[in-house]
Amino acid sequence: MPVFRSITCLSLALCAAIVAGCRDRHAGDVPRGDTTRFAVVRDDYGRDVTLRARPTRIVSLNPATTELLFAIGAGGRLVGRTRYDLWPDSARLVPDLGPGMRPNLEAVLGARPDLVVLYASADDRAAADRLTAAGVATVAFRMDRVADFRRVTELLGRLAGDTARARAVVDSVSATLDRVRRATESAHRPTVFFHAWEKPLITIGGGSFLSELVTIAGGRNVYDSLTVPSATVTLEDVVRRDPDIVLVSPVEREKLLSSERWRSVRAVREGRVLAYDTNLVARPSVKLGEAAASLAALLHPAALR
Amino acid sequence: MRASWSRWVVFVAVLAVAMILAVAIGTISLSPVQVWNALLGRGDPTHVTVVRELRLPRAFLAALVGAGLGMSGAALQGTLRNPLAEPYLLGVSGGAAVGAVVGVALGIALTLLPLAAFAGAVAAIAVAFFVAHAAGTRGDARVLLMAGVVVGAFANAAIMLVLGSAPMNVTRDAMWWMMGSVAAATWAQTAWLLAYLAIGAGALLGWARRIDLLALGDDSAAGLGVDPDRAARRIYAAASLLAAATVAAAGLVGFVGLVVPHIVRGTGVRRHRPLLVGSALVGATLVVLADLAARVLRPPSELPLGAVTALVGVPFFLVRLRRLT
Repeated sequence: MPVFRSITCLSLALCAAIVAGCRDRHAGDVPRGDTTRFAVVRDDYGRDVTLRARPTRIVSLNPATTELLFAIGAGGRLVGRTRYDLWPDSARLVPDLGPGMRPNLEAVLGARPDLVVLYASADDRAAADRLTAAGVATVAFRMDRVADFRRVTELLGRLAGDTARARAVVDSVSATLDRVRRATESAHRPTVFFHAWEKPLITIGGGSFLSELVTIAGGRNVYDSLTVPSATVTLEDVVRRDPDIVLVSPVEREKLLSSERWRSVRAVREGRVLAYDTNLVARPSVKLGEAAASLAALLHPAALR
Repeated sequence: MRASWSRWVVFVAVLAVAMILAVAIGTISLSPVQVWNALLGRGDPTHVTVVRELRLPRAFLAALVGAGLGMSGAALQGTLRNPLAEPYLLGVSGGAAVGAVVGVALGIALTLLPLAAFAGAVAAIAVAFFVAHAAGTRGDARVLLMAGVVVGAFANAAIMLVLGSAPMNVTRDAMWWMMGSVAAATWAQTAWLLAYLAIGAGALLGWARRIDLLALGDDSAAGLGVDPDRAARRIYAAASLLAAATVAAAGLVGFVGLVVPHIVRGTGVRRHRPLLVGSALVGATLVVLADLAARVLRPPSELPLGAVTALVGVPFFLVRLRRLT
């Protein structure tokens, strides 16, 4: 018995040390070998969230985490999603709980979840605290960059109880990303303007996985130096940065090419406006690898044969 | 007579300088010679399109928005005999924004958007008039003003209601209206705004004499053979068309209609025909300069135009209020 207690003490000390060591931006889980806990994970609000048992009713209010939960085999345990979580197809069968940000707490509690996964925006903080106070284990993750995808997938694996599959998803995506990176490494790097929205004109900054994808695909985002995930910019500033290529959604491509205003951008005037696949280039999730490959195929058609 | 001439020379000259600055200054630095060549379609094709398709339509659209709001404010202040009247505070712009947002949500054609905005503005005014009548005060300017403020708040709530359940893309488009901007100006947009403004401005200039009489008071107006209610309704409608067209083109740009007529009156203009023309010129100058500030102060982003005009307008409003009370 004293032996057991000392092991418990040791593991508690260990987890305190790990917790202390993890007081940076992100963190991982803490203890192993503690039988009363299924998993403990630190989320992106810096809160340690404890699961007492394997969750059987999960609400995911972020399209990316919904995809990931399906990918790691926990899709069948989902009892709630946002209006925008439409991939994979089976996600449509999960009850729609609204737009996701600032969720309707009654709707969420009505799904009787034992785990709620939110996007870690400032907006969602109050909801996370109230759900926790209501006794529902709630974690919030930021998913802006490729590293977030890797980290959150592994944490979700731990929470859902399938770390092996989570690792497999991370490894397979990482392998594809590496392959794309190698294929485009030696090629000349065109500068790219990523058109995300027209009114107002919004582009992707260096804080977004999309900027990383452009880099991996062998390009260079002209707004990579912005640290935010996205920002409004003036068209004249785009003209000044003079990108080699404009990346845009298929719908907007036609509009850009027929716009008098956009003719001020040399790449548009000279017809170098490429439409990205909006089904792939959307979320920092399971399809990251495919998304990088599709962008590389646009930027370097010859390299990816 | 000479004093009045010099006033108009100054109004036109200042607007001309503001337009020149708006065309000459931007994220890309161009020399005056380069700007001139670009205007004539010579030199670097990038510079030509930047000047002719980005800066020029934008400056003209800003000028038209300012002119419409300035005239609208001048007409409303005269008719209501209240120096604080203006389309934004009276709920006219709010009603127009509801019309425009609903129009955007329904996906109607861009050229019809002013009509949707106008319908919203007219509905807002109708409600304000109804409230004033229900209060038993008929044309009491203060009650109309209060009713307008309440209608404006209601319009805001209606917009939030539409946006609360709208998909993300509609929300983002609608936010753009609410904050005011002429960043996406095109020549086509400038042309149709000009057409709508011409109708409203023509009507107001034609009725300028009646605004003069209404400004003296309903009794004096009636004594001189003008039906005050009917005249006020028409002037309201024309002023709303002006405000609605600007809202459809550039979203909510507040306080221009408030500030501008005061500036013009400050130069000694009393009668409404010159007041309307002067408000158009000064309003144009103000919005062109505000837009210039909006796009160069925080590169590579830009500030919402409505925020810039409000930052200028609110202190002005407070100073006016102090002087009135």
